[in-house]
Amino acid sequence: MTAEVLDQERRVGERKWRRRSLWSLVLLIPLALGVEAYDSVKALLGDNDLFARRVAWGQSTHFGGSDWKLTDLRGAFGMSNLPPDSVPVLADFQVKVGDPDLQHLWLGCKVMLIDKDGRRWSPTSIVSLKTTDKVETCVSAIFSGAKSGDTLNLRETFLVPKEATKSIRPAVSVAGERPRFLLFQLEKD
Amino acid sequence: MLESARSRLKAWIVAGVGTAAAIAVAGVLGAFAARHEPLPALAPAGRIETGQWLLRPLKAYATAEKYTYGALLRPGGKALVLELEMTNRTAKSTKDYFDLLQASQKTVDPATKPFIVLTRDSTMSPELHPGMPERMAYIWQLPDGAAVPASFNLTVISKTYKPRDNLYGLPGWFNPTPIGTMTIPVGAGPDGADMQP
Amino acid sequence: MMMRKSANTILLLVAVAFCYGLQVSKPRYGDLIGPIPARGKLGDTVVGRGFEVHAEKIEFARKLTVDQYGQSKVLTTGGVWAVVTVEFAARAQSTVVSVASWRGPTGLTYDQTERLSFMNGLLPVALDPGLPRKARLIFELRPDEVSNATLLVSEKLVAALDSQAEISLGPVTVAADGLPAGTVDMLDMAQPL
Repeated sequence: MTAEVLDQERRVGERKWRRRSLWSLVLLIPLALGVEAYDSVKALLGDNDLFARRVAWGQSTHFGGSDWKLTDLRGAFGMSNLPPDSVPVLADFQVKVGDPDLQHLWLGCKVMLIDKDGRRWSPTSIVSLKTTDKVETCVSAIFSGAKSGDTLNLRETFLVPKEATKSIRPAVSVAGERPRFLLFQLEKD
Repeated sequence: MLESARSRLKAWIVAGVGTAAAIAVAGVLGAFAARHEPLPALAPAGRIETGQWLLRPLKAYATAEKYTYGALLRPGGKALVLELEMTNRTAKSTKDYFDLLQASQKTVDPATKPFIVLTRDSTMSPELHPGMPERMAYIWQLPDGAAVPASFNLTVISKTYKPRDNLYGLPGWFNPTPIGTMTIPVGAGPDGADMQP
Repeated sequence: MMMRKSANTILLLVAVAFCYGLQVSKPRYGDLIGPIPARGKLGDTVVGRGFEVHAEKIEFARKLTVDQYGQSKVLTTGGVWAVVTVEFAARAQSTVVSVASWRGPTGLTYDQTERLSFMNGLLPVALDPGLPRKARLIFELRPDEVSNATLLVSEKLVAALDSQAEISLGPVTVAADGLPAGTVDMLDMAQPL
């Protein structure tokens, strides 16, 4: 008699635990997927420019260990030998170097232009405008050996269709800050 | 104690007989035949097939010109030139011919990589296309002060096709293996006639 | 009893056949990460993930003339030259298209020639959104690989999980000399596109 009761009790307890285990799967499976996917998601985010941080005209912003400021964005009209309806666009930045470890912080440095439809232009090699000023590109600045407190003048050249010149805004991203990137606003915004 | 020693002895005997049988079977199947066989001598005037290439040596000569088919030689140096017809036997354009021919150490310093040139317009190591024979030149810089040999030895190296490699599961040519050697007479200059089969 | 035994045997055989079928049809890693085709034909605009391509025309020639460092140079071939004029456009982002090959009717694949690497208007071409660009794709072909071929264009050499434009080029008639009909003796690559 007592053995039967004991058996009954054990069975109820077993059933209870089985149910608990099943319910815990609801939690454990998503958790396991999350842990598995963590590195991939991190790599994906670190490879894409997703979240824009807007910088008002004339403002300077701390990004990738340095202070970035857009100083000029202008078209170089009237050049010959270019595809029809295209305009070279120059974007000038002034960067006050904070952390001088640029080779690490500015890795994969990307300057681009983004228009209102989200189209993105990378610097071009078709146009190269000669200049007398001492300017560097983002990539050459990495190896310039700049020290903390130095001011770097960066210039990137783009080739953009005429119809897009009204709405383009310069943007900057570096590996250390992705998926965030800087989106500079112009004076008229 | 005695019992266990006897059973151990029995196990040793069984294992030994098994090993001997395995070696004997492997020997019968030819596992050791490949070990000592010397490389076959290939006829230089014939057609030589490797996995990827069909080769037909045409002529070899030494030159002291500054430029040979656009390849710049060390000033004052001499070079050994082998011209041959190469046909890509694979289904894709390829330039996997850098390890195809190895000049013997007696003639050429093994660290010297040859220039490989398309003789048609002196393009340096272009891809060759499937089923299109082209005349190519292998140009080895000779060691400084070395005399031009009357003939030289070449080892031909072939690769095998794997439909799936072990790393990426993609097709490719692997495992370079020498398939034969040949001796090619060295002519006086670039104007000599081609070898005929 | 006999019935049960033969039923079991049949079931076993079916299971073996099924497993074998699964094993044979299992896609390989190379197939899984291969390029994703975007198909079209001559004259279509083929739209891939990062770029668009439109093959305008094909010309065949026995010889090409090119300008090399200001000097005119004639390039001969053991087969026939095929010159495809294409227009590329970038989509949402600036990109570079760098690989093109010609897959003949028997599956032989001819990469773009490397003998004109000094010339403008060849791949790789950099593309910016809103600024379509023309380019020439130049191949050296066996005359018997000309008809019913497919042009393959992709941004990178290993187009793993990325678009590859596959443009079917249609039949080409062969003239009496074995070369494609309309093959010209000389084509001048210095002409603007």
